[in-house]
Formats: sequence, C-alpha cells, structure tokens
Amino acid sequence: MTNHWADLQNAKVFLIEGSNAAENHVMSMKWIRKAQEKGAKIIHVDPRFNRTSSIADIYARIRPGADIAFLGAVINHVLQQGLYDAEYVKLHTNALLLAKDEFALEDGVFTGYHEDKHKYDTASWAYDLDAATQKPKKAASLDDPRCVFSKLKAHFARYTPEVAEEISGVPAEQVKLIAETFANNRPGTILYALGMTQHTVGIQNIRCYGILQLLLGNIGKAGGGVNALRGEPNVQGACDMSVLNGYMFGYINAPNHNHPTLEAWTKDNGTFRRKFTVNGLKAWFGENATAENDFGWRWLPKKNGAKDYTVFGMIDDAYAGKLKLLWAVGQNPMVTNPNLNYVHEALSKLDMLVVQELWDTETASFWQRPGADPKAIKTEVLLLPAAYFMEKEGTISGSGRLVQWRYAAVKPPGKAKADLEIIDTVFRKVRDLYAGSTDPKDEPLAKAVWNYPAEHTAEAVLQEIGGRVLSEVTLPDGKVLKPGAFVGGIGQLQADGSTSSGAWIYAGVFGGGKNLSKRRDAKTDPSGLGMFPGFAWTWPGNMKILYNRASCDADGKPWPGTTPLVWWDATEKKWKGVDTPDVPDATKGPETPEGQRAFRMNGEGIGRLMAAVYKDPDAKEKGLPRDGSYTPKDGPFPEFYEPIESPVANVLHPKAQHNPCVKYPRVPGKQPVGTAKDFPYVLMTSSIAEHWCAGSTTRNVPWLNELQPECVVELPTQLAEKLRVKGGDKVRVSSARGEMVVKAVVTKRMQVMKIAGQDVPVVWMPYNWGFKGLSTGPSTNVLTIDAVDPGAGTQETKACLVNVVPVEEAVAQR
Amino acid sequence: MSISRRNWLKLTAGGGTGLALAELGFSASKVQAATGHLKLTGAKQFTTACNFCSCGCGMVCNVVDGKLVNLEGDPDHVINQGALCSKGAAMQATHESDRRVKTPLYRAPGSDRWQELSWEEALEKLARKVKDVRDSTWIATERDGDVEYPVNRTDAIGFLGGAQNTNEECYLWNKMGRLFGTNFVEHQARL
Repeated sequence: MTNHWADLQNAKVFLIEGSNAAENHVMSMKWIRKAQEKGAKIIHVDPRFNRTSSIADIYARIRPGADIAFLGAVINHVLQQGLYDAEYVKLHTNALLLAKDEFALEDGVFTGYHEDKHKYDTASWAYDLDAATQKPKKAASLDDPRCVFSKLKAHFARYTPEVAEEISGVPAEQVKLIAETFANNRPGTILYALGMTQHTVGIQNIRCYGILQLLLGNIGKAGGGVNALRGEPNVQGACDMSVLNGYMFGYINAPNHNHPTLEAWTKDNGTFRRKFTVNGLKAWFGENATAENDFGWRWLPKKNGAKDYTVFGMIDDAYAGKLKLLWAVGQNPMVTNPNLNYVHEALSKLDMLVVQELWDTETASFWQRPGADPKAIKTEVLLLPAAYFMEKEGTISGSGRLVQWRYAAVKPPGKAKADLEIIDTVFRKVRDLYAGSTDPKDEPLAKAVWNYPAEHTAEAVLQEIGGRVLSEVTLPDGKVLKPGAFVGGIGQLQADGSTSSGAWIYAGVFGGGKNLSKRRDAKTDPSGLGMFPGFAWTWPGNMKILYNRASCDADGKPWPGTTPLVWWDATEKKWKGVDTPDVPDATKGPETPEGQRAFRMNGEGIGRLMAAVYKDPDAKEKGLPRDGSYTPKDGPFPEFYEPIESPVANVLHPKAQHNPCVKYPRVPGKQPVGTAKDFPYVLMTSSIAEHWCAGSTTRNVPWLNELQPECVVELPTQLAEKLRVKGGDKVRVSSARGEMVVKAVVTKRMQVMKIAGQDVPVVWMPYNWGFKGLSTGPSTNVLTIDAVDPGAGTQETKACLVNVVPVEEAVAQR
Repeated sequence: MSISRRNWLKLTAGGGTGLALAELGFSASKVQAATGHLKLTGAKQFTTACNFCSCGCGMVCNVVDGKLVNLEGDPDHVINQGALCSKGAAMQATHESDRRVKTPLYRAPGSDRWQELSWEEALEKLARKVKDVRDSTWIATERDGDVEYPVNRTDAIGFLGGAQNTNEECYLWNKMGRLFGTNFVEHQARL
C-alpha cells in the first residue's frame, strides 16, 4: 500500500476493482465504512456480485480479464473531459517530458517487437534526451504533440466508453459515471488484490491505476494512493526480505551472469542502489567483505539472465528433472498452484521434497493424492513440524508496511519447532559438512556471518536487518556515529562499508538501540488521520504515506484545499510534517533539485505516466547511472489484450489477440489451451471469508468448516436453466487441463454477459479445497491455467475457459 | 510481554458474582463478560498479530499455566481496535488442534506411509541432501557469446515459502538459499 489501513477513513471515494475486500480483507471495511458514513462513495467493479458489491454505491459487472478496456476508458474520459489535476500533472509527473518520435503502437504491438522471441527491443520507448546533460527535454505546455501527455492522450483515445462496453461488459454510461464520480471526489483511493494481478496483463492492470491516480493528483495524499490488499500475513515482509528470485537486500536487483563484478552490476543498476547493496553485503559477510574484494561480490550466486527462476520456472525445471530438491515452508503448491495435474507430475520427479508445516498438507502427501500410485513415486519426502505464530516471536509486516512484533505466548505442540530454529540448524549443519573445504564454491558458507544466539534469535536477526555502524561515521551535520551502534535510518547508511543493513528499507527499525516494532502507543495521533506514529514502526523511516512530497506544490506548500501532511518550513530550513517527509534530504528545500523529487525512487524523480526507458546519469561518477526506472516488458503504456483462453476475438486488434510477450505453452503437452468451442464459459476463482488460500489451516478448524463445508461452482441462473441444473445438483466442471465434480450454486451473483455481441456466461469457484484436512474436496486449480504475466510471473488464475455439464446420476434421480 | 488487561474487564464483577447475577436473571452479555473473567483469572497476556490476510490485526493471547485459554482481538490496536473476522476469531483452534504435525516424518521412495524420525535424523538427512545436490549440480562458470562468466550457483535446489513466516525467518531463509548458491528463492507473492 502507498498508504495504510486506517488511512482509508480519509478517502472521499473508493475504486475497488480486483478485490472482494469485505470477505478477504475484512478489517478494511472498518475504515471504509467510516469514510462512507462521512459521505464517501464506493465503486466496486467485479465479475461477481459479492459482499463488497452489496455495500457499494456503484456496482459495475466486468468480464474477467477485461480491466484494461474498462480502465483505459476511465482514463480516456478523465483526459477528454479535462478532469485531471493539471498543476499536479505538470509538476509531479513526466507529462511534459518529450518522448521519442519513433515510438508508436500498430495493430496492438509497440515498436521494437521481435515475434520469434516474444520480446521487445525497448530503445524507442525512451525520451528525447538533451545531448549535453543526457536528461529528457521538456515541453512548454501539455499541448505539445511530442510530450508524454500527448502520447498518453493519443494512446487512450481508442478506449471510448462504447469500446469499453463491448469488451468488458460495463455499460458505456456507467463507465462515464464511474470516471466522473472517481475524479470529482478527491482524495480518492484505489484498492485491489489478486483479482487484478492474476492475469497475463497483471502489471499493466496496475499501471492503469498508477496513471489514473497521477492524473487525478491522488498519490502522496491522505485518503489517496494505490493500495494493494495483500493476501498473506507476511507476504509484504517476505517481499521486503527478498524471498523473490530477482531481488536481494530489499528490492535490489539480484545479479545476472553478466555481472561478474559490482561495477558491472552498477552499470545496469546505478550508484544509488549500489550503496544499499554494499550495506547488504556487509550484513551478510561482515569483516570478510572489504572494498578490496568487491565486498564479497563473488560469493553471490549469479542468475542466468535468460532463465525463469519464479515458482513456475521451478515447477518446469522439476518436471524436466533438473530441480532435485524442493523445500517448501508454509506453502502448499498442490492446492494453490494452477494446472495442478502438471504440478503433481513435476513433484513426482524430485529427488527430495521437504515440507515444513503445521499440518500434513496436499503437498507433503502428494504421493497419497487420489489416483496416484505411491509405489511409482520415488521422491523422498520429509515433513518437519513447525510452530505457529502464537508459539514463536518475531515481526511481520502488513499491507500498510507496519512492522509489528509478535510475542511467543505458548510452546509449540509436541516436537514442533519455530522455522527460525530449523533454518538456523540446517544452515549450521551444512556449513559443518563443508568444514575445511578449500573449494572456492564453498567459500560463501565459510565467509558468511552466521552466529545468531540461541536465545532471542529473532531480535538478533532483526538487528542485522535494521543495520549497524561498523566503523566511526561523521554525518554531514557533524553528528558522529560510534561503532557498535544501531543505524538510525536510511540516511545514515554509508557507501564505503562503514555501516551494514540486511534490508536497507528497514534501516532504523532498531534506531536508538530500541526495538521500535514493539511500540504500543495507540493513543497519540497528532495528525488526526489515524497515523499513530508511536505504534510499532512503518518502513521506510516510519513513513505512513509514501510519496507525500507530492501533497505539496512547487514551493513545498500543501496543495490548496488538501489535508497538510508535510511542508517546507522556510524559517527552520527543513521539511516538516505530521508524517515523515518523503524527500531525499530533509534539509534540501524546494529551490534545490532534491526538493522536487516527489517520486525519488524513479530515475526521473517524478511520476511516470509513460514508463519510458530511462537511466539518470550520475553527476559525480561519469559513465555510471545514478538510478534507473522500471519499464514493463510488454509496453510503456497499458494495452488491452485478451486472456490466453478467451471466448471472443480482441475487438481492438484481432491480430494481437493476447499479450505479445507471453510465451505459452512453455512445456509442450503439459499446458494445453482450450477454446470456446469445447469450453464455452469463463471461470474466475477466488478465496472466501471462511477459508483462506490453500485451506491448510482453515479446513482444519471445525467452526470454519461448518460455515463453508465444501467447494462449489456458482452458475448464472440463465446458464443453469439451459443446463437443466438446480442448486445443489452435482456438475462436472472441466477445462483443457483437468476436471472435477462439485455442487452447483445457482445464483444471480453471476451473469451471462454480453461481450462483443456474444453471450458469455461467467462462472465462479473458490479454490481453497484439497484432499487433506478435516474438510476435503477437489481442488479448483486442476482447471486453471499457468500462463503468466511476462514481467511479474503471475499466473492467469482469474480467467480461463471451462465447460460445465450436469453429472448424470444427479439428473436421473430427479 | 504482559500487558494490563483492559479496563472494562477490571471493572466487571468477579467470577462468583457473575454466577450470582446469572441466577438473578441478568443479561447474558454481562454473564459472559464475568465468566470470561473467571477463565482469565491470573492469565498472562501476550500481544501478537493475526496470521491470515495482511491487515495485521492485533490479538491478545491469554495464557494460564502455559496453556492458551483465550485468544481475542486486541482493543488497543490501531488497525482492528479489538475486532476480528471469522477466520481470526477461530485461531485458537489451530494451536490446540490434534491434527497438528508434532514430530518429524519421513516417506521413503515408493513407500505408502510416513515413518517417525528424530529431529537429528531428519535434519541430518536434509543437510546431506543439500550438500549432495549442491556438489553434483554446481555451475562455476557460464558462457555467453565469447565470454566465460563466473556464476557460482546451483539451479537444482528450490526454496518455496515465506508469506507465512516472520521477517526474521524470511531474511535467514533468503540468506541461506543464496549462500547455498540457489536463486530459486520464491514465496506465495503471486498465488
């Protein structure tokens, strides 16, 4: 989240699309309802009329996978009707920067496409740079046809409300109503979850949100923002801690094979992030990491730049017999991964599977899966009993980036142990096995700092994450940091190895030598906005609202008529506020370049309506970039493409039916693609209020099983009538990948939609069941497709094609 | 950490009085509050946060003689102010469930059953497997065009999980994975 949970009470309008917040993030409703009581409007866009829809002021039914068609039209309406915040757009976005003339979109494909590789050469997606400074040239007004704003307008001009209706099913009049309601009530916030990301256009779906919120001036403000409602208790923290193949030390790009030195890596990633990398290497390798040995750079494993290291790459490699050992902790891919029959085959080819869990899950017991022959499965399996959250201590980070300490209340049952202890023990055992080795490959194990105490282990690790002063540092303001002290914040981190931080964004969580995640002041809120700065600790730097510099104008004054968050105090020569100011240096005022970088984590320092290719040159180190900006692989602007399995042709450009960057199937024979002829209905899946994700935990709780005893398929009334199916009848749901039998729920919540002149029935299923636990049932993910977003690697579980037929016995009995 | 029980409970009558009130026909909610107090007499409180979605709702664990006797929403928490959803409210059952795995288990190749192992046996097996796989699949260098690059990795070990773990576990999990030489370090972010 750019903002945080309690900040939802400050919004005047909500666009909730791709989230059933009322069921899946129940506590969000506490704050959304507060805002609604004060007059805020709620817009809910979803293929299924659910509990969130029931409290919305406007509910729009949308076809799964058609979000860009709808949001493109909302953006277009905002642009055509002049509903955007022109001053904010000119100051805080790249609207005025000049883009290259050769950039274009033709027949749904951007310039630079290589069909054979499913890839773009992105050189034309760039700015027109000043030859001397290598900085983008700037237009005098938004009317300049060469500027980003004009390119944006031209790009979205094709997305008329009528086109949106044809593709998405949202009526044209409702598209306009939503655009106007959202634009005319500010600040407005956007909430989304996996409903928006689990598509082959997931990144571009969210790009639409970024563009819309930048146009409306809603980023950096209380009650605004783009807010991802994340699905798991510490999915935010797991990302922060780089449990993601592509990152290290907190969203820092992990090195590829062609980065043999830190310098080679810096050429691609910039000097700004090199500093944090050095702090990470110092945290991992301590005194063994020196300037002379490139801070131990050679001890990091370098990825093959062309290889897929996501969970889908893992499964594909397991199936190919290349991945030998898979170790899963608290994750149950035999329920949650798409295309489950293929996942089962892949697991069966592993040498060893290790599962660290509370329960015996579908993954741990995959060799017992109904229909499987255990004798034929040669995989060794270890199931290690783990402690649950109330049985251990440590921190988690919620969606709002609040890092909270949990105390251990009770001991784990039986011989179960905390994951921290298991990980620590295994690392030491492996290190011992290599004791005395002189093989260079084993150096990382010997050179790493790994000597955590047996007591208060979690706190010791948090200290390493937060960071330490290693040798005396004198800060620009004259303050001296002594060795052994804890780092007070990101600003104290040094580039020369005199400080360390395992994840720079958490620098300062132990500021002043205190564990700030343990703070409990739920009474003091000087902002009156629900910030409570003395309750736990928020990364970065206890900042509650990211990009809050954008809440001010060019002079550092809060925009007229808005809630002040931060401001430039000309007397004290300092950025101040009720929140931690999001500026590179609190002493550099609006008259300096640093004082005008509201989006300082981009190379340009401003919000990116066009995600242009750009690297900001370093002023001091010639030839090296200071920082770069992220450009999605599939385009600098979002473009609508149909899901891989879709019942209709792409209305905008039939030649570019799907995302041109998606390569699918990846594994011939194992990833079949169904057509509407055999599988005429669109399936969307999601979680429910009573069961959660794989259901490993919730299906072992009797109360929850009583509330939701089994998996079902929700069918539109019109479809059920056609199929002669009544509520409670058993039906067989099938896709090109698998089939299952469940009971039908016949409901108006789902509808037959009119798309591109065709009737398109949309059905829904929860995905929380499997063959283990107290409540068992077939897993919906045998049906779903494992085609993924080319940038994020997120699978298209929100839109695939299925068929539904009544099970004969059920009909015969009637 | 022990925190003081919230004031309204302090102000309610003691357990015995609660029963007396019930006999006199007082409201069910008062009786529940009072019997709750009886159950929590002498309990130690520990604060934690829920483990389902990412709201991070505060919870209070009440522990008597090492037993979790009650788990409820934390009224002094800035996100949930004491409230919990259907899943969060059912959390206590997860700690005391007899369905929890309580000892390391091993399934041999081709076997149709689990067998119990000691921790020492289980982790020794795992550590040796890590070493064997690492040693037999190590990629020291890799050619790209005309250049042979040092890459120092294995692509044969996969780490999966983290969203169910604490930050500290995630940090060590990732650190261990990369030190072993694998970049297959992933969790539930997409699922």
